[in-house]
Amino acid sequence: MASTACFVIVSKNDIPIYDAEVGSAPKKEDQAYQHQFILHAALDVVQDLAWATSAMFLKSVDRFNDLVVSVYVTAGHTRFMLLHDSRSEDGIKSFFQEIFLNPLYLPGSRITSSHFNTKVRALARKYL
Amino acid sequence: FMRLAYLIGYGVEIEKSPVNSASLSMLSWPKPATWPSIPPDSSAEVMAKEKTILQAKAREKLFDIQRKPLPLEPSSLLREANRRRAFLSVGNLSELYDSVDGSGLGAHSKLSPNKSSSNLMTRTMSGPATSETSLPVDRPMRLSEIHVAAEHALKQTISDPDFMTSLSSPEEFESRYMELTKGAADNYHRSWWKRHGVVLDGEIAAIFFKHGNYDLAAKSYEKVCALYSAEGWEELLADVLPDLAECQKILKDEAGYLASCVKLLSLESSLFSSKERQAFQSEVVRLAHSEMRHPVPLDVSSLITFAGNPAPPLELCDGDPGTLSVAVWSGFPDDITLESLSLRLSAFSSADEGLKAIRSTDARVLVPGRNIITFDIPPQKPGSYVLGALTGQIGKLSFRSHGFSQDGPVDTDEFMSFEKPTRPVLKVRKPRALVDITPAVSSALLMNELQWIGLIVKPIDYSLKGGILHIDAGAELKIEESQMIEIESYRSDGEHSSPIDASKVLSRPTDTGRVEKVPIENGKIKLPDWASDVTTLVWFPVRAINDTVPKGTSPASPQKHSIVDGMRMIALKLEFGAFHNQIFERTIAVHFTNPFHVSTRVVDKCNDGTLLLQVILHSEVKATLHVKDVSLDLQAGFEHLGKGDGRPTSSLFPLVIAPSSKAGILFVIRLSGTKDLDELEQADSMLHIKYGISGDRATGAHSPVPVKPDDSEELLFKISLKLKRPVLDPCLAVGFLPFSTDCLRVGQLVNMKWRVERLKDLEEASLSDDEILYQVDANPQNWMVAGRKSGHISFSEAQGSRIEIAVTCVPLVSGYVHPPQLGLPDVGDANISCNPAGPHLVCVLPPTLSTSYCIPA
Repeated sequence: MASTACFVIVSKNDIPIYDAEVGSAPKKEDQAYQHQFILHAALDVVQDLAWATSAMFLKSVDRFNDLVVSVYVTAGHTRFMLLHDSRSEDGIKSFFQEIFLNPLYLPGSRITSSHFNTKVRALARKYL
Repeated sequence: FMRLAYLIGYGVEIEKSPVNSASLSMLSWPKPATWPSIPPDSSAEVMAKEKTILQAKAREKLFDIQRKPLPLEPSSLLREANRRRAFLSVGNLSELYDSVDGSGLGAHSKLSPNKSSSNLMTRTMSGPATSETSLPVDRPMRLSEIHVAAEHALKQTISDPDFMTSLSSPEEFESRYMELTKGAADNYHRSWWKRHGVVLDGEIAAIFFKHGNYDLAAKSYEKVCALYSAEGWEELLADVLPDLAECQKILKDEAGYLASCVKLLSLESSLFSSKERQAFQSEVVRLAHSEMRHPVPLDVSSLITFAGNPAPPLELCDGDPGTLSVAVWSGFPDDITLESLSLRLSAFSSADEGLKAIRSTDARVLVPGRNIITFDIPPQKPGSYVLGALTGQIGKLSFRSHGFSQDGPVDTDEFMSFEKPTRPVLKVRKPRALVDITPAVSSALLMNELQWIGLIVKPIDYSLKGGILHIDAGAELKIEESQMIEIESYRSDGEHSSPIDASKVLSRPTDTGRVEKVPIENGKIKLPDWASDVTTLVWFPVRAINDTVPKGTSPASPQKHSIVDGMRMIALKLEFGAFHNQIFERTIAVHFTNPFHVSTRVVDKCNDGTLLLQVILHSEVKATLHVKDVSLDLQAGFEHLGKGDGRPTSSLFPLVIAPSSKAGILFVIRLSGTKDLDELEQADSMLHIKYGISGDRATGAHSPVPVKPDDSEELLFKISLKLKRPVLDPCLAVGFLPFSTDCLRVGQLVNMKWRVERLKDLEEASLSDDEILYQVDANPQNWMVAGRKSGHISFSEAQGSRIEIAVTCVPLVSGYVHPPQLGLPDVGDANISCNPAGPHLVCVLPPTLSTSYCIPA
C-alpha cells in the first residue's frame, strides 16, 4: 500500500468530479493542497499525451521529485489520475480498470456516493 | 535556484504558494554530507541575518484568513544542517533540538527560553552565543549561522558571476526569480501547457503585490482565478481568490471585489471557517450599504438559487391575479436583509424576456438555507410561464440571480450549468367561458301580465363570488322592482326545487333546495355567496306591454301576425371575478303571447236569417286556461238573438282548455238592418274573456305575480273580431224540379221544369222590378228546345211566392250531357240561390233501334 496516494477523476471538460486521498499515511492538510496542485498541473501533460496515443493507460506521465502521476484515460475522455510514490505499475493498472467498471456514475456530475467512496478505498487497499 | 536562495536565507522572499511548496518541499536538501561551518569574522552577517529572520512575518491575509503556511522545506533545515555536523552524536541530538528549537525557530515570537533549556545551554555552551568569532564544535548552529555558512560555501563554489550576483542580495534574487518565472510562463503558454503557465503567472502576481503594483498583480491573479474557477478546482481557487480580492479592494474595484466576495461565499463551505465566511458576507453588506461610485448589478447566481414549487403549476384564468410561492436558497452564512426582491417570469414559448418583474413584499430577511417567498401576481396574458431571473436589492446594491435548482436535496450538482428550467410554474388560461346564463323557459309567457322570467346562471369552473347581475329590459318590457328576486339552486338533470313546495325544502336539509330572496335595485342583483359555485335559477318579475288590441281571424280575414310581435329582448351583464374585471354579456329573447287566439266562422245559416256564429278559442300557452265567462259586443249591423246579453247560447262555464288545445263557443246572431255602409265597414266586435290560468313558471305562462295583496286571480282578455256581412244576399231561389221520367232517350221529348221562389219581400230585396226576365241556355248541338227560350215572369211580391217555368226539350245526342240551365240575367248572382240545384250532367240513352233517325256525323 502506497503511503501517499491521491486519486482524482476529471471529466472531459476538465472539472474534477471526484477526489480522494487513498494513501495509508495520515492526511496532512498542506499535502492535500500540493496534491491538488500537482494533479491540476499534470492535466497539461495529459492532454498532450492523450491525443498522441490510443492506449488507455498512460502510466506515469509526470514526475514530481518522488511523486509520480499515473493516468488512465477512458473512451469518453474522462481521466483517472493517481498521484503516488513509486510503485508497481500493474497494481495501478488493475486499480484503474476496476474503478472504470464501477457503474455508479452520471455523466458530468460530481460523484458524491458514499458507496463509490468505500469501493474506491477498498480497491486502493487491494491494489496499491 | 530557489533552493539555493533558501539556503542563503532568502526564503522569506519566496511566496508560500502551492507551486513553490510542491516544488521545494519535495526537493531534498543538496549535498554536502557535512555542513560547512561559518567563516570567522562573520558575526555582523549573522546579526544581519538574524535581523532578517526576526523581521519576517507572515503576510496577513485579507478577511483574517488563517491558514497553516505551506512548507518550503522537505525537512527542517535547522535539523538537517545540524545533523550533518559530524561531531555531534545521535545521543545528545534530541535534547539539543528540543531546546534549540525553542530558541531558534521561535525567535521571532519573542518567547524567552525556559529555565531548563537555558540551563542546558549553559551546561553545553562555553559562553554567550552571540559574540563568538569561532563556534565551539559542540554547539548546534542557529538558523542565521546556517544561512551565513551556506552563503560563504556557495560563494566559493559558484563560478558564474551572473549567478552569483543574483544570489548576492534579496533584491537581486527577486529580479532574477521574476525573470525566470516570466520566461517559464511564456514558454508554457506557447506550448499550450496553459495550467503551468497560469500558475507561474500567479507567482508573478505575488511579487507585483509585494511591490505594491496592485494593478498588474490583480490582472495576473484574475487569470489564475479564472482558470481554477472554470475547471472547478475549488481548493486551489480558495487559496488564490482572497489575494485577488485584496488587490481589488486596494484598487477600489468595487464591482470586482464584490464579485470575488460572492465567489468566496459560493465555494464549498468546508474550505473556509464560518467566521471567515461571515467576514465575506459582512464585506458584501458593508459595501452594499455604502456609497458606491459605479454601482453595478451583482450576479449572485451561485449564492442565491431558487426553484418553483414541485407541485403542478399555478393555474389562473385570464385576467385574474394570484399568488406564487417560490423556494429561495441562501448560501450566505448569516441572515441577510434584502431591501426588495423581485421575480421575473418569462413566457414559455417566446424568447422575449416576458413580463416585468413581480415584486414581493418589501424588506425581508433571507435565512441561510431554504426560504419560501410568496409573490403576488397581477393579471397576466394567457400563456405558460417559467421562472426567469430573481432580482433584488441589498442596501443600495442591486443583484440578480439566474441560479435555478431543484427543490429538495440536490443529487447532482452540475457545476455552473444554468439550464433553463423547462417546467412551467404558472399557466394562465386563454380566455374561456367562465359562466353561462340561459333562459330557463323557452315557451311563451303571458303578455300584459306580470310574469316570472327565469335565468339559469351556471358557473363553469369558476367562482362567481361578489358577482353583480345587471338586467336591462328592452323596449315594451318593464321589470317590477317592487318585488323581490328569487334565487334558487338548480339541478341540471332537469328537476329543480320549487320554492312554493315547502315540504320538499324541509326534506332536503342540504342546500339543494335553497331559495333566497334578494332585492333588485336599478336593475342590479347581487349574487349571494352560496350561489358562487353552484348553478342557480334566478326569477325576476317582468311585464311585457302591448297596447294594441289583438284581432281575431275569420275565413274572410286570415291570420297574419308574426312571432316578432311577442318577442322582447333582455340585455344581461354579469360582473364578477377575483379582480372584478370579468364581464359576461348576453341578450336573451323572451316570448310573450296572448292567452288566446280567436277565430270565427259561421257554422250555419237558417232560412230565417239567423246565423250561428262559432267562436273558437285557441290556447296559445303551455298552461291550463280556465274560461270563466265570455261576452261578445257585436259590431253595428249585427245583433244577438236570445237573451241579448251577449253571452253564448249554452252555459258551459267554467270551460277548461288544456295547453295548446282549443274550444268553441256558439253565438246566435243575425244581421240587423242598417244602411250606413261606412259604419258597417269600420266596426269591430269585441270579445271579452274572463279567465284564469294555472301554469308553472318553469314551464311557461303562469298565474301572474300578485303585486298587491288583493289582486284577484281573474284575468280579462279582450280581442276584437271583425264580422263581415254575408256577401250572398239571395232574394230569389231557382230550383230544378225532377224529371217525370227516369230515362231520357235521344229523340224523345222531355219536360224541364224550374221553380222560382221569392225569398224576401220585394221592398227588402234590392230588385226594383217585379217582372223578372228568364232565359234558358242549352247547347244547340245536344238539345233542341221546343218552346220559348226566354221571357218575362211576374209573380207576387210577397215572400214565399212561387212560379213555375216549363220548357220542352229534345236530347239530340246520347251520353252524359249538360242539361239546359235557367238563368235570370237581370238579377245579380249574389241574389240568386240555386235551391235545389239543377243536375250538372244528365244521362241520355241512345234512341231505340230505328232507322228513321240518322244523325249525320
